[in-house]
Amino acid sequence: MKKFDPDRPWDLTTLPTTMAPQGSRPHAPVEDQCFLGAEADIKQPPKLQEAVATIKNWFRASSLNVLAFGTGCGAIELRPLSTSRFDMSRFGIPGAPTPRQSNVFIISGYLSVKTLTRVIRCYEQMPDPKWVVALGSCTINGGMYWDSYNTIKVLDLYLPVDVYVSGCMPRPEALIAGFQYLMDDVKKGKANGWHHYLENLEWYRENQKQVITDWDLPNYNW
Amino acid sequence: MFDINHGNLDDSPDVGQEIVRRIHDRFGDFPARFQKADLVRLDVPQKDIIPVLSWLRTETPFVQLTHLTAVDWLEDGQFELMYLVTAPDLMVSLHLCVRLDRAKAEAESVFNLWLQAETYEQEINEMFGIHFPGSPRQGVPFILEGWRDMPPMRRDFDTVAYCDRTHPVRPGREHQDSRVYVGRKFGEKGYLK
Repeated sequence: MKKFDPDRPWDLTTLPTTMAPQGSRPHAPVEDQCFLGAEADIKQPPKLQEAVATIKNWFRASSLNVLAFGTGCGAIELRPLSTSRFDMSRFGIPGAPTPRQSNVFIISGYLSVKTLTRVIRCYEQMPDPKWVVALGSCTINGGMYWDSYNTIKVLDLYLPVDVYVSGCMPRPEALIAGFQYLMDDVKKGKANGWHHYLENLEWYRENQKQVITDWDLPNYNW
Repeated sequence: MFDINHGNLDDSPDVGQEIVRRIHDRFGDFPARFQKADLVRLDVPQKDIIPVLSWLRTETPFVQLTHLTAVDWLEDGQFELMYLVTAPDLMVSLHLCVRLDRAKAEAESVFNLWLQAETYEQEINEMFGIHFPGSPRQGVPFILEGWRDMPPMRRDFDTVAYCDRTHPVRPGREHQDSRVYVGRKFGEKGYLK
Protein backbone atom coordinates (compact mmCIF):
# COMPACT_ATOMS: atom_id res chain seq x y z
CA MET A 1 0.00 0.00 0.00
CA LYS A 2 1.17 3.53 -0.78
CA LYS A 3 1.96 5.94 2.05
CA PHE A 4 -0.70 8.51 2.85
CA ASP A 5 0.20 11.74 1.09
CA PRO A 6 -1.19 14.90 2.79
CA ASP A 7 -0.87 16.82 -0.49
CA ARG A 8 -3.21 14.36 -2.19
CA PRO A 9 -5.84 13.62 0.44
CA TRP A 10 -8.36 12.63 -2.22
CA ASP A 11 -6.28 9.60 -3.21
CA LEU A 12 -8.27 6.94 -1.40
CA THR A 13 -5.92 4.15 -2.38
CA THR A 14 -3.46 5.37 0.24
CA LEU A 15 -5.88 4.84 3.11
CA PRO A 16 -5.96 1.51 4.90
CA THR A 17 -9.33 0.03 4.03
CA THR A 18 -9.74 -2.04 7.18
CA MET A 19 -8.17 -1.56 10.58
CA ALA A 20 -7.78 -4.06 13.36
CA PRO A 21 -9.93 -3.11 16.37
CA GLN A 22 -8.17 -1.11 19.06
CA GLY A 23 -6.06 -3.29 21.34
CA SER A 24 -6.51 -6.48 19.38
CA ARG A 25 -3.73 -8.92 18.66
CA PRO A 26 -2.48 -9.33 15.09
CA HIS A 27 -3.91 -12.82 14.93
CA ALA A 28 -5.95 -15.31 16.89
CA PRO A 29 -4.17 -17.03 19.82
CA VAL A 30 -2.16 -19.98 18.62
CA GLU A 31 -3.35 -23.20 20.12
CA ASP A 32 0.06 -24.64 20.89
CA GLN A 33 -1.26 -27.55 22.85
CA CYS A 34 -2.50 -29.17 19.66
CA PHE A 35 0.77 -30.70 18.83
CA LEU A 36 2.88 -33.53 19.90
CA GLY A 37 5.84 -32.27 21.88
CA ALA A 38 4.43 -28.80 22.43
CA GLU A 39 2.72 -29.54 25.70
CA ALA A 40 5.64 -29.02 28.05
CA ASP A 41 3.83 -26.51 30.25
CA ILE A 42 1.09 -28.99 31.11
CA LYS A 43 2.01 -30.80 34.30
CA GLN A 44 1.57 -34.33 33.21
CA PRO A 45 3.91 -37.27 32.94
CA PRO A 46 5.52 -37.39 29.48
CA LYS A 47 4.05 -40.76 28.61
CA LEU A 48 0.50 -39.57 29.29
CA GLN A 49 1.18 -36.31 27.50
CA GLU A 50 2.34 -38.17 24.44
CA ALA A 51 -0.65 -40.48 24.55
CA VAL A 52 -3.09 -37.58 24.80
CA ALA A 53 -1.47 -35.81 21.86
CA THR A 54 -1.54 -39.00 19.80
CA ILE A 55 -5.22 -39.50 20.52
CA LYS A 56 -5.99 -35.86 19.69
CA ASN A 57 -4.17 -36.09 16.41
CA TRP A 58 -5.85 -39.38 15.59
CA PHE A 59 -9.22 -37.72 16.09
CA ARG A 60 -8.18 -34.86 13.86
CA ALA A 61 -7.01 -37.18 11.09
CA SER A 62 -10.36 -38.95 11.22
CA SER A 63 -12.33 -35.76 10.92
CA LEU A 64 -11.31 -34.14 7.65
CA ASN A 65 -14.07 -32.07 6.10
CA VAL A 66 -13.35 -30.84 2.60
CA LEU A 67 -14.56 -27.39 1.67
CA ALA A 68 -16.70 -27.37 -1.48
CA PHE A 69 -14.68 -24.78 -3.36
CA GLY A 70 -13.39 -25.69 -6.80
CA THR A 71 -10.92 -23.16 -8.11
CA GLY A 72 -9.74 -24.59 -11.42
CA CYS A 73 -10.01 -27.57 -13.73
CA GLY A 74 -9.19 -29.93 -10.85
CA ALA A 75 -12.64 -29.40 -9.44
CA ILE A 76 -13.85 -31.75 -12.17
CA GLU A 77 -11.87 -34.56 -10.50
CA LEU A 78 -13.60 -33.93 -7.19
CA ARG A 79 -17.00 -35.02 -8.53
CA PRO A 80 -16.04 -38.64 -9.29
CA LEU A 81 -14.00 -38.62 -6.11
CA SER A 82 -16.93 -37.70 -3.93
CA THR A 83 -19.51 -39.84 -5.74
CA SER A 84 -19.90 -43.58 -6.06
CA ARG A 85 -17.02 -44.49 -8.34
CA PHE A 86 -14.10 -43.39 -6.17
CA ASP A 87 -16.14 -42.50 -3.11
CA MET A 88 -13.92 -40.63 -0.69
CA SER A 89 -16.46 -41.05 2.10
CA ARG A 90 -15.19 -44.62 2.59
CA PHE A 91 -12.01 -42.99 3.90
CA GLY A 92 -14.10 -40.93 6.27
CA ILE A 93 -13.76 -37.69 4.31
CA PRO A 94 -17.06 -35.89 3.88
CA GLY A 95 -17.60 -32.57 2.14
CA ALA A 96 -18.61 -29.38 3.88
CA PRO A 97 -20.55 -26.56 2.32
CA THR A 98 -19.10 -23.53 4.06
CA PRO A 99 -15.63 -22.48 5.23
CA ARG A 100 -16.68 -22.27 8.86
CA GLN A 101 -17.63 -25.96 8.87
CA SER A 102 -14.62 -27.38 7.05
CA ASN A 103 -10.96 -27.91 7.76
CA VAL A 104 -9.41 -29.13 4.51
CA PHE A 105 -9.06 -26.80 1.56
CA ILE A 106 -8.31 -28.41 -1.80
CA ILE A 107 -6.84 -25.84 -4.15
CA SER A 108 -7.85 -27.68 -7.27
CA GLY A 109 -5.77 -26.12 -10.01
CA TYR A 110 -4.77 -22.67 -11.18
CA LEU A 111 -5.62 -19.59 -9.18
CA SER A 112 -6.33 -16.30 -10.82
CA VAL A 113 -5.71 -13.22 -8.74
CA LYS A 114 -9.44 -12.65 -8.36
CA THR A 115 -9.94 -16.19 -7.07
CA LEU A 116 -6.92 -15.91 -4.78
CA THR A 117 -8.64 -13.09 -2.92
CA ARG A 118 -11.67 -15.28 -2.26
CA VAL A 119 -9.50 -18.26 -1.38
CA ILE A 120 -7.59 -16.29 1.25
CA ARG A 121 -10.84 -15.03 2.67
CA CYS A 122 -12.30 -18.53 2.88
CA TYR A 123 -9.08 -19.99 4.29
CA GLU A 124 -8.99 -17.49 7.12
CA GLN A 125 -12.59 -18.23 8.05
CA MET A 126 -11.90 -21.93 8.48
CA PRO A 127 -11.46 -22.98 12.11
CA ASP A 128 -8.05 -24.15 13.32
CA PRO A 129 -6.50 -26.62 12.80
CA LYS A 130 -6.87 -26.61 9.03
CA TRP A 131 -4.96 -28.03 6.11
CA VAL A 132 -4.40 -27.18 2.47
CA VAL A 133 -4.03 -29.77 -0.29
CA ALA A 134 -2.65 -28.31 -3.51
CA LEU A 135 -3.76 -30.23 -6.57
CA GLY A 136 -2.08 -30.10 -9.94
CA SER A 137 1.02 -28.58 -11.49
CA CYS A 138 -0.45 -25.09 -11.58
CA THR A 139 -0.16 -24.75 -7.84
CA ILE A 140 3.47 -25.92 -7.88
CA ASN A 141 5.12 -23.94 -10.67
CA GLY A 142 2.34 -22.44 -12.74
CA GLY A 143 1.91 -25.49 -14.98
CA MET A 144 0.47 -24.64 -18.35
CA TYR A 145 -0.37 -21.15 -17.09
CA TRP A 146 3.28 -20.22 -16.60
CA ASP A 147 2.95 -17.18 -18.90
CA SER A 148 -0.52 -16.08 -17.88
CA TYR A 149 -0.86 -12.47 -16.83
CA ASN A 150 -3.53 -13.18 -14.25
CA THR A 151 -2.53 -16.50 -12.68
CA ILE A 152 -0.19 -17.00 -9.75
CA LYS A 153 2.57 -19.56 -10.13
CA VAL A 154 3.73 -20.52 -6.64
CA LEU A 155 0.91 -21.18 -4.21
CA ASP A 156 2.94 -21.49 -1.03
CA LEU A 157 3.93 -17.84 -1.18
CA TYR A 158 0.33 -16.98 -0.37
CA LEU A 159 -1.03 -19.92 1.63
CA PRO A 160 0.67 -22.68 3.62
CA VAL A 161 0.45 -26.00 1.78
CA ASP A 162 0.56 -29.33 3.59
CA VAL A 163 0.35 -31.79 0.68
CA TYR A 164 1.08 -31.31 -3.00
CA VAL A 165 -0.39 -33.66 -5.59
CA SER A 166 1.39 -33.19 -8.90
CA GLY A 167 -0.02 -33.89 -12.35
CA CYS A 168 -2.10 -32.17 -14.94
CA MET A 169 -4.71 -33.19 -13.92
CA PRO A 170 -4.02 -35.82 -11.25
CA ARG A 171 -6.49 -38.67 -11.27
CA PRO A 172 -8.78 -39.21 -8.29
CA GLU A 173 -6.54 -42.07 -7.10
CA ALA A 174 -3.66 -39.60 -6.80
CA LEU A 175 -5.80 -37.33 -4.67
CA ILE A 176 -6.77 -40.27 -2.45
CA ALA A 177 -3.05 -41.00 -2.01
CA GLY A 178 -2.54 -37.34 -1.15
CA PHE A 179 -5.25 -37.59 1.48
CA GLN A 180 -3.55 -40.61 3.00
CA TYR A 181 -0.28 -38.67 3.21
CA LEU A 182 -2.18 -35.84 4.84
CA MET A 183 -3.80 -38.21 7.36
CA ASP A 184 -0.42 -39.74 8.20
CA ASP A 185 1.08 -36.30 8.70
CA VAL A 186 -1.81 -35.18 10.88
CA LYS A 187 -1.49 -38.31 13.00
CA LYS A 188 2.22 -37.63 13.47
CA GLY A 189 1.51 -33.99 14.27
CA LYS A 190 3.58 -32.81 11.28
CA ALA A 191 0.94 -31.05 9.20
CA ASN A 192 1.30 -27.64 10.81
CA GLY A 193 0.82 -25.34 7.85
CA TRP A 194 -1.88 -23.30 9.59
CA HIS A 195 0.48 -22.79 12.53
CA HIS A 196 3.17 -21.58 10.14
CA TYR A 197 0.64 -19.19 8.60
CA LEU A 198 -0.16 -17.60 11.96
CA GLU A 199 3.50 -17.37 12.95
CA ASN A 200 4.51 -15.76 9.63
CA LEU A 201 1.38 -13.77 8.95
CA GLU A 202 3.26 -10.60 8.00
CA TRP A 203 5.34 -12.42 5.40
CA TYR A 204 2.26 -14.02 3.84
CA ARG A 205 0.40 -10.70 3.88
CA GLU A 206 3.30 -8.99 2.11
CA ASN A 207 3.27 -11.60 -0.66
CA GLN A 208 -0.50 -11.48 -0.95
CA LYS A 209 -0.52 -7.71 -1.26
CA GLN A 210 2.02 -7.82 -4.07
CA VAL A 211 -0.44 -9.54 -6.42
CA ILE A 212 -3.76 -8.33 -4.96
CA THR A 213 -3.35 -4.65 -5.69
CA ASP A 214 -6.81 -3.54 -4.53
CA TRP A 215 -6.43 -5.16 -1.13
CA ASP A 216 -9.60 -5.00 0.94
CA LEU A 217 -8.96 -7.77 3.44
CA PRO A 218 -8.11 -6.96 7.05
CA ASN A 219 -4.46 -6.90 8.03
CA TYR A 220 -5.18 -9.25 10.90
CA ASN A 221 -6.19 -12.87 10.52
CA TRP A 222 -9.89 -13.63 11.05
CA MET B 1 -41.79 -11.25 -39.91
CA PHE B 2 -43.44 -9.66 -42.90
CA ASP B 3 -41.65 -7.03 -44.93
CA ILE B 4 -43.98 -5.11 -47.27
CA ASN B 5 -41.38 -4.81 -50.04
CA HIS B 6 -39.96 -8.32 -49.95
CA GLY B 7 -42.50 -10.66 -48.38
CA ASN B 8 -41.99 -13.06 -45.53
CA LEU B 9 -38.41 -13.94 -44.71
CA ASP B 10 -39.42 -17.34 -43.36
CA ASP B 11 -40.71 -18.42 -46.78
CA SER B 12 -37.44 -17.73 -48.55
CA PRO B 13 -35.48 -20.87 -49.56
CA ASP B 14 -32.12 -19.35 -48.55
CA VAL B 15 -32.52 -17.03 -45.60
CA GLY B 16 -28.86 -15.94 -45.66
CA GLN B 17 -29.00 -14.76 -49.26
CA GLU B 18 -32.34 -13.11 -48.67
CA ILE B 19 -31.34 -11.14 -45.55
CA VAL B 20 -28.13 -9.94 -47.24
CA ARG B 21 -30.17 -8.80 -50.25
CA ARG B 22 -32.49 -6.87 -47.96
CA ILE B 23 -29.61 -5.25 -46.06
CA HIS B 24 -28.03 -4.26 -49.40
CA ASP B 25 -31.30 -2.75 -50.60
CA ARG B 26 -31.81 -0.81 -47.45
CA PHE B 27 -28.39 0.28 -46.21
CA GLY B 28 -25.81 -0.06 -48.96
CA ASP B 29 -23.55 -2.56 -50.68
CA PHE B 30 -21.55 -4.05 -47.82
CA PRO B 31 -19.14 -6.86 -48.68
CA ALA B 32 -20.68 -10.18 -47.69
CA ARG B 33 -19.11 -13.61 -47.35
CA PHE B 34 -21.19 -16.76 -47.17
CA GLN B 35 -19.15 -18.83 -44.78
CA LYS B 36 -21.59 -21.66 -44.15
CA ALA B 37 -25.18 -22.46 -45.01
CA ASP B 38 -26.28 -20.81 -41.76
CA LEU B 39 -23.59 -18.15 -41.28
CA VAL B 40 -23.04 -14.96 -43.27
CA ARG B 41 -20.34 -12.43 -42.60
CA LEU B 42 -20.90 -8.77 -43.40
CA ASP B 43 -18.30 -6.00 -43.14
CA VAL B 44 -20.22 -2.92 -42.08
CA PRO B 45 -18.82 0.63 -41.80
CA GLN B 46 -18.92 2.14 -38.34
CA LYS B 47 -21.59 4.74 -39.17
CA ASP B 48 -24.03 2.07 -40.38
CA ILE B 49 -23.74 -0.53 -37.65
CA ILE B 50 -26.32 0.87 -35.21
CA PRO B 51 -29.01 1.37 -37.92
CA VAL B 52 -28.40 -2.16 -39.21
CA LEU B 53 -28.55 -3.70 -35.74
CA SER B 54 -31.67 -1.73 -34.75
CA TRP B 55 -33.39 -2.77 -37.94
CA LEU B 56 -32.41 -6.43 -37.44
CA ARG B 57 -33.55 -6.35 -33.83
CA THR B 58 -36.93 -4.72 -34.45
CA GLU B 59 -38.05 -5.74 -37.92
CA THR B 60 -36.50 -9.13 -38.71
CA PRO B 61 -36.29 -12.50 -36.93
CA PHE B 62 -32.65 -11.72 -36.06
CA VAL B 63 -33.50 -10.85 -32.48
CA GLN B 64 -30.75 -12.55 -30.49
CA LEU B 65 -27.28 -11.17 -29.78
CA THR B 66 -25.31 -14.39 -29.45
CA HIS B 67 -21.88 -12.90 -29.06
CA LEU B 68 -19.99 -9.64 -29.10
CA THR B 69 -16.23 -9.62 -29.12
CA ALA B 70 -13.26 -7.69 -30.47
CA VAL B 71 -10.11 -8.40 -32.46
CA ASP B 72 -6.96 -6.30 -32.37
CA TRP B 73 -5.57 -5.59 -35.86
CA LEU B 74 -2.36 -3.99 -34.66
CA GLU B 75 -0.74 -3.72 -38.10
CA ASP B 76 -3.78 -1.93 -39.55
CA GLY B 77 -4.09 0.34 -36.51
CA GLN B 78 -7.65 -0.85 -36.04
CA PHE B 79 -9.92 -2.78 -33.73
CA GLU B 80 -12.64 -4.99 -35.10
CA LEU B 81 -15.89 -5.46 -33.23
CA MET B 82 -17.80 -8.60 -34.13
CA TYR B 83 -21.52 -8.87 -33.49
CA LEU B 84 -23.00 -12.33 -33.93
CA VAL B 85 -26.74 -11.91 -34.38
CA THR B 86 -28.94 -15.00 -34.65
CA ALA B 87 -32.46 -15.74 -35.80
CA PRO B 88 -33.40 -18.50 -33.34
CA ASP B 89 -36.47 -19.60 -35.31
CA LEU B 90 -34.57 -19.97 -38.59
CA MET B 91 -31.20 -21.07 -37.11
CA VAL B 92 -29.27 -18.58 -39.23
CA SER B 93 -26.57 -16.24 -37.92
CA LEU B 94 -25.26 -12.95 -39.19
CA HIS B 95 -21.72 -12.00 -38.36
CA LEU B 96 -21.41 -8.22 -38.50
CA CYS B 97 -17.84 -6.91 -38.38
CA VAL B 98 -16.97 -3.26 -37.76
CA ARG B 99 -13.54 -1.69 -37.92
CA LEU B 100 -12.71 1.03 -35.39
CA ASP B 101 -9.79 3.40 -35.23
CA ARG B 102 -7.28 2.03 -32.74
CA ALA B 103 -6.14 5.44 -31.56
CA LYS B 104 -9.69 6.51 -30.74
CA ALA B 105 -11.09 3.24 -29.47
CA GLU B 106 -14.71 4.13 -29.00
CA ALA B 107 -17.91 2.52 -30.24
CA GLU B 108 -21.59 3.08 -29.79
CA SER B 109 -23.27 0.87 -27.22
CA VAL B 110 -25.99 -1.62 -28.17
CA PHE B 111 -27.18 -1.88 -24.57
CA ASN B 112 -30.53 -0.33 -25.47
CA LEU B 113 -31.13 -3.09 -28.04
CA TRP B 114 -29.93 -6.07 -25.99
CA LEU B 115 -29.56 -5.85 -22.22
CA GLN B 116 -26.97 -8.62 -22.16
CA ALA B 117 -24.64 -6.43 -24.22
CA GLU B 118 -23.81 -4.72 -20.93
CA THR B 119 -21.62 -7.62 -19.84
CA TYR B 120 -19.96 -8.05 -23.24
CA GLU B 121 -19.19 -4.34 -23.41
CA GLN B 122 -17.85 -4.32 -19.88
CA GLU B 123 -15.52 -7.19 -20.72
CA ILE B 124 -14.34 -5.64 -24.02
CA ASN B 125 -13.77 -2.39 -22.18
CA GLU B 126 -11.59 -4.16 -19.66
CA MET B 127 -9.72 -6.48 -22.00
CA PHE B 128 -9.23 -4.21 -25.03
CA GLY B 129 -9.74 -0.73 -23.63
CA ILE B 130 -12.54 0.04 -26.10
CA HIS B 131 -14.94 2.53 -24.57
CA PHE B 132 -18.71 2.29 -25.04
CA PRO B 133 -20.20 5.61 -23.93
CA GLY B 134 -23.55 5.21 -22.24
CA SER B 135 -23.14 1.54 -21.44
CA PRO B 136 -23.46 0.77 -17.72
CA ARG B 137 -20.53 -0.69 -15.76
CA GLN B 138 -17.88 0.77 -18.04
CA GLY B 139 -14.62 0.81 -16.10
CA VAL B 140 -15.99 -1.45 -13.36
CA PRO B 141 -13.62 -4.41 -12.89
CA PHE B 142 -14.99 -7.65 -14.29
CA ILE B 143 -12.15 -10.16 -14.06
CA LEU B 144 -9.07 -8.01 -13.52
CA GLU B 145 -9.53 -6.51 -10.09
CA GLY B 146 -7.04 -3.77 -9.38
CA TRP B 147 -5.45 -3.91 -12.84
CA ARG B 148 -2.97 -1.07 -13.35
CA ASP B 149 -1.45 -1.92 -16.72
CA MET B 150 -2.42 -1.74 -20.39
CA PRO B 151 -5.53 -3.83 -21.24
CA PRO B 152 -4.11 -7.33 -21.59
CA MET B 153 -5.80 -8.44 -24.81
CA ARG B 154 -4.18 -5.65 -26.80
CA ARG B 155 -1.49 -7.22 -28.88
CA ASP B 156 1.22 -4.79 -27.85
CA PHE B 157 0.82 -5.94 -24.24
CA ASP B 158 3.85 -8.10 -23.42
CA THR B 159 2.34 -10.96 -21.44
CA VAL B 160 5.55 -12.77 -20.56
CA ALA B 161 7.31 -9.61 -19.40
CA TYR B 162 4.32 -8.67 -17.24
CA CYS B 163 4.17 -12.18 -15.83
CA ASP B 164 7.89 -12.20 -15.01
CA ARG B 165 7.52 -8.83 -13.33
CA THR B 166 4.46 -9.73 -11.26
CA HIS B 167 4.36 -13.43 -10.49
CA PRO B 168 7.46 -14.95 -8.92
CA VAL B 169 8.65 -18.39 -10.07
CA ARG B 170 9.67 -21.25 -7.87
CA PRO B 171 13.47 -21.27 -7.45
CA GLY B 172 14.99 -24.05 -9.53
CA ARG B 173 11.95 -24.18 -11.80
CA GLU B 174 12.64 -21.21 -14.05
CA HIS B 175 12.43 -23.17 -17.33
CA GLN B 176 9.20 -24.57 -18.62
CA ASP B 177 10.83 -27.36 -20.62
CA SER B 178 10.69 -30.55 -18.60
CA ARG B 179 13.62 -31.98 -20.59
CA VAL B 180 15.89 -29.55 -18.75
CA TYR B 181 15.05 -31.11 -15.40
CA VAL B 182 14.99 -34.69 -16.62
CA GLY B 183 18.35 -34.11 -18.29
CA ARG B 184 19.74 -32.54 -15.15
CA LYS B 185 18.66 -35.52 -13.11
CA PHE B 186 19.39 -38.44 -15.44
CA GLY B 187 22.15 -37.08 -17.68
CA GLU B 188 21.97 -35.29 -20.96
CA LYS B 189 20.04 -37.90 -22.93
CA GLY B 190 18.40 -39.54 -19.99
CA TYR B 191 14.94 -38.84 -21.21
CA LEU B 192 15.50 -40.86 -24.39
CA LYS B 193 16.25 -44.12 -22.60
